[in-house]
Amino acid sequence: MMSMFSFLSSIELGLIYSLMVLGLFLSYRILNIPDLTVDGSFTLGAAVAVSCTLAGHPVLGILAAGAAGAMAGLVTAFLQTKMKIQPILAGIITMTALYSINLMVMDNKANLPITQDESIYYAFGQLVGKNLQGMLLSGLAAALLVIIVVLFLSTPLGLSVRATGDNEDMVRSSSINANFTKSVGLAAANACVSLSGALIAHYNCYAEVRMGIGMVVIGLASLIIGEIVVEIFVKRLTILAGAIAAVVGSVIYRLIIAQALELNFSASSLKLITALIVALAMSYPAIKESRKMAKIRKAGRA
Amino acid sequence: MKKFMSVMMAGMMMATMAGCSNGTEQKSGSADSAGKLQIGVVQIMEHTSLDTIRESFLAEMESLGYGEDKVEFDIQNAQGEQTNLSSICKKFVGDNVDMIVAIATPTAQAAAASTSDIPIVFSAVTDPVEAKLVADPEHPDKNLTGTSDAIPVDEVMQLCQKLTPDVKKIGFMYTTSEINSQVTAEKAIQEAEKMGYETQLMTISEVSELQQAAQSLAQNVDAIYVPIDNTIAQAMKVLAQVGLDYKIPIYTGADSMVQDGGFATVGIEYDKLGQQTAKMAKSILEGTPVSEVPVETLDEFGTFINKSTAEAIGVEIPAEIADNATLMGE
Amino acid sequence: MLEIKNLTKTFYPGTVNEKLAMDHLNLQVNPGDFVTIIGSNGAGKSTLFNLIAGSFFPDEGRIRLDGTDITFLPEYQRARMIGRIFQDPMKGTAPSMTVEENMALSYLRSKQRHFGFGISKKERSFFQEQLARLDLGLEDRLDSPIGLLSGGQRQAITLLMCTMVTPKLLLLDEHTAALDPATAEKVLEITKQVVGDNKITTMMITHNISSALKVGNRTIMMSGGRVILDISGEERSRMTVPQLMERFKKESRQELNNDRMLLSEN
Repeated sequence: MMSMFSFLSSIELGLIYSLMVLGLFLSYRILNIPDLTVDGSFTLGAAVAVSCTLAGHPVLGILAAGAAGAMAGLVTAFLQTKMKIQPILAGIITMTALYSINLMVMDNKANLPITQDESIYYAFGQLVGKNLQGMLLSGLAAALLVIIVVLFLSTPLGLSVRATGDNEDMVRSSSINANFTKSVGLAAANACVSLSGALIAHYNCYAEVRMGIGMVVIGLASLIIGEIVVEIFVKRLTILAGAIAAVVGSVIYRLIIAQALELNFSASSLKLITALIVALAMSYPAIKESRKMAKIRKAGRA
Repeated sequence: MKKFMSVMMAGMMMATMAGCSNGTEQKSGSADSAGKLQIGVVQIMEHTSLDTIRESFLAEMESLGYGEDKVEFDIQNAQGEQTNLSSICKKFVGDNVDMIVAIATPTAQAAAASTSDIPIVFSAVTDPVEAKLVADPEHPDKNLTGTSDAIPVDEVMQLCQKLTPDVKKIGFMYTTSEINSQVTAEKAIQEAEKMGYETQLMTISEVSELQQAAQSLAQNVDAIYVPIDNTIAQAMKVLAQVGLDYKIPIYTGADSMVQDGGFATVGIEYDKLGQQTAKMAKSILEGTPVSEVPVETLDEFGTFINKSTAEAIGVEIPAEIADNATLMGE
Repeated sequence: MLEIKNLTKTFYPGTVNEKLAMDHLNLQVNPGDFVTIIGSNGAGKSTLFNLIAGSFFPDEGRIRLDGTDITFLPEYQRARMIGRIFQDPMKGTAPSMTVEENMALSYLRSKQRHFGFGISKKERSFFQEQLARLDLGLEDRLDSPIGLLSGGQRQAITLLMCTMVTPKLLLLDEHTAALDPATAEKVLEITKQVVGDNKITTMMITHNISSALKVGNRTIMMSGGRVILDISGEERSRMTVPQLMERFKKESRQELNNDRMLLSEN
């Protein structure tokens, strides 16, 4: 079994990445758009946060990271709505452009570190002690973002964004500007993702230009795992339940990875395990359906 | 739901079987078994240079008396995903390992963020000061020390002067996502300009761009220099062909790249780096405090020249250089 | 209220599929009119609605709503003044949002409330009041996701959503056609009630000729992108279905051989 340290660290990591998963909750669940910008906006958040920290503004850097992510989301939205590019391709285009932009933000260096004194985690640690700094700060951030997201989705604008993802035809023939709501949604989603990247940069004390690779897959897997688990406890996935599912799923995913490491698979099969988990999680609805069907058929024959 | 869980467990069991039967170096991760030392070895991804360091490190540890009878090595690989680096390092810390060996810059950074007590020996970090791993390489201030794969760029430029004196303009290439490569290339450009060469820089972001970027560069320069770049090293044959097509020498950062068709280098041998890392690890395991183990670079650099490349581009290797170099490419 | 002059639209101009869908149509709808529109398939009824609502723009002509020229106004800007209900009951409501949330969506938009969280007690009781008048038991199901409701219930709610804040013009595009006869009748009753109570200027496309003559105060028949018959008042109340079909034959010199229209004359 994994050590207590490993267990607690997995929860910490899960909480930090849950911000990214919340972003995917907004784009994939609410807006129904598969947004691949995530791989790029995650790194963008880290790059902006580290650059601002090196310039002496660590906390401002976090906010700037969120703003930068929002802008990345707006670019993808523009490509989709005005240029009428297919959503997946629009996301890929922005993600590709962000590789260069991230490098530029990082002063053309592939790897940009900060010292522990510059990290907000260690600054927070002065208040609560080193052992709690990770868990508390990450937990606070995750809780705060869940509240913000749920409140936002209950405002008139938030309702319009939800409707856009639910029934775009209806929205287009109503007085709601669907292009506007999509842009707002994608901007908000990518802002969350960037905030996640910013936090990880402070947690690990560096930003690296390749650190976002594979994020969208991890995020979607986490989201779905979270939903499967939360659905055991609630009848219907309300907005609050969905947001909490994002956090829960992210933590569980990290625990699964930690457990996979414990089982000591050959080092090169970690990705295969991840793919298996993602595939299982994503096919769970279909598996559930076919088991239901099998039961009905069985009862029909009896 | 229960059935789903059992399906998942079954899946993981099967994968465990497959995994266990594969790994010859894997040990079951249990707590301290009968006083054996535990060392966690982690790298960011599979790569020839990183793999070579790891292999030669383990071999040297064995020959220094720290083989598998005395040490449990937990070997992990983040498979290119930096998120896994954190998880792996946390696992090491939770398992209370006696030392972490971190290969490559982000690996060392993730390890540093996970523990400030367990000694970390890094390798293949070109500039540990820039990476904020040590403030002073002579006196490491934290729990980190290790080997740097910095190479003597001045010696390469001098070799260029001697072997190919007609070269006036040198082109430099590196992959933008590799900090080691970038740092070395920038130093090399400075050095070259000091020596009076004209320089031009061409960067790529991934291996598919190599051929066209190299061709575009080759048209304007008399020689190309590529430092220790993992991406380009993997596709060395492509770059070598461009050199042959345009008949210009390709100076590289590592001997393996010359082997693969480059022209020449005064450069790094990754297995020597691994061995040196093992020696440092041994002294720390035997009680030397980390602050007294300075960061090391290789003290000897061999000269490597590829004979058939030389012939193909029409360069004659003067005898006094050939005598002191390793000739490759028969 | 609605003034249409010379409205023309050709689809796929210059190709093999070229079709003149709207042919210099002129129409005037007065405030409070409830106009029923009939015609065979391809007559241009839906095209007319699309042009009025702004799904696409005409090649020629002008549309004026309550004095304002809306010919080239974008769809979502017109939607503030024009309510529209489609034949497909799925199209009018957001399935995964609750009844309450759907109603809030249109209510808050028309009231122009942009801030604040959730739905206030006052708003919730207002919605319940509105739903109670439908007499469908929906006032107890405010928290149900709309996707769980039947087609008829969804259309009824869509109707409410469009009329909670009275629009200048209401377009009903065969909104009962996809419902079973009993539910269709119910929804039609509700339509008449809501339109009557709020005095909404309404245009309704229907394939049911006898409904067309019984509901509203005016009936238009379209063919080939033009209005070929426009009756109201005495003439209309004395018109029977067979007479209407004769008039149609005379005006359009075609057999009215649309099965749906024939079969539903009751």
